[in-house]
Amino acid sequence: MDKIRRRDRLGMIFDILDIIRHHHNSIKPTPLLRHSNLSSQSFSEYFNELMDKGFIKEITDDNGKKFITLTDRGFRYLEKYKLISGFIEEFEL
Amino acid sequence: MPPFQLIDPIKLAAELGYTLIVVFLCLMIFFKTREIYDLTRHEGINYFRITFLFFALAYIFRFLHIFSILEKITFDTDSMMDIFRIFQFPLVFNGYFSTLAILSLTYSIIWKKLHIKHALLLFNVIAVLISGIAFFSRSPLLLILAQAVLLIFTIILACYFYIRSRKFSQLFLLYVLFLLFWVVNLFALGPRRFIPFEIQTVFQIISIAVIGIIYYKVARWTK
Repeated sequence: MDKIRRRDRLGMIFDILDIIRHHHNSIKPTPLLRHSNLSSQSFSEYFNELMDKGFIKEITDDNGKKFITLTDRGFRYLEKYKLISGFIEEFEL
Repeated sequence: MPPFQLIDPIKLAAELGYTLIVVFLCLMIFFKTREIYDLTRHEGINYFRITFLFFALAYIFRFLHIFSILEKITFDTDSMMDIFRIFQFPLVFNGYFSTLAILSLTYSIIWKKLHIKHALLLFNVIAVLISGIAFFSRSPLLLILAQAVLLIFTIILACYFYIRSRKFSQLFLLYVLFLLFWVVNLFALGPRRFIPFEIQTVFQIISIAVIGIIYYKVARWTK
């Protein structure tokens, strides 16, 4: 699961969110980059997109360390992903 | 007796029923796909869903145009305001929204291969041009001709991309049928009945079935 094969944009978003979910919904940015198997530039783009769209948020613990967690919207995306990709495939969009 | 009797009140009820069903199905498709578009901001999904919003509006204005013709002929009254009638608003908006719908549907399936910057803006320009034909000519026949040409062009374009990908698609066939029936439905707007009412009713039933199939496919993936 950590080795992510080449996928389309929606699939990549799913994979990144899934990584966060599998890490008990709390992961630091650097391990997330490592697990996503993306270049730092690509990762940065996806990361910004996920933040802008409200799928993830950054939280800071008492020691000042930053963690990435999923929002409700992020969980909904994970839940609906199979339907979304099925829809796109069905209608050839 | 008027020289050209388009349809009688009973047939108006049939047109109303047909319009209500199609508008309902189109709007259901539009609203059912709201969540998946909201989550993904996928361009294909966007153009797919707005297609059905535009078709819903086009069918509403198509019915208004039929109603205004029927009312004038059958009841010898005209409740439409003069300005409304003179400027042929229903026909113009019918042309505008249906053109947007045809272009949006086509683009939704070819956007990955043919990326057009500011596609919606371009579609609006084309739609304004075609509805302008309806406005200046005040003739549904020219609108039918313009949309038939547009339809043929979009089918050829879509076929070109399908042939390149070498896969046959039942969905593409559904879309072609749906769009063809739309053009056939436009004949009801003309001053003469080119297609007998009974045959038109058959076409309308088939088009309801086609959009019903599309709706069913959408509903399966948008629980």
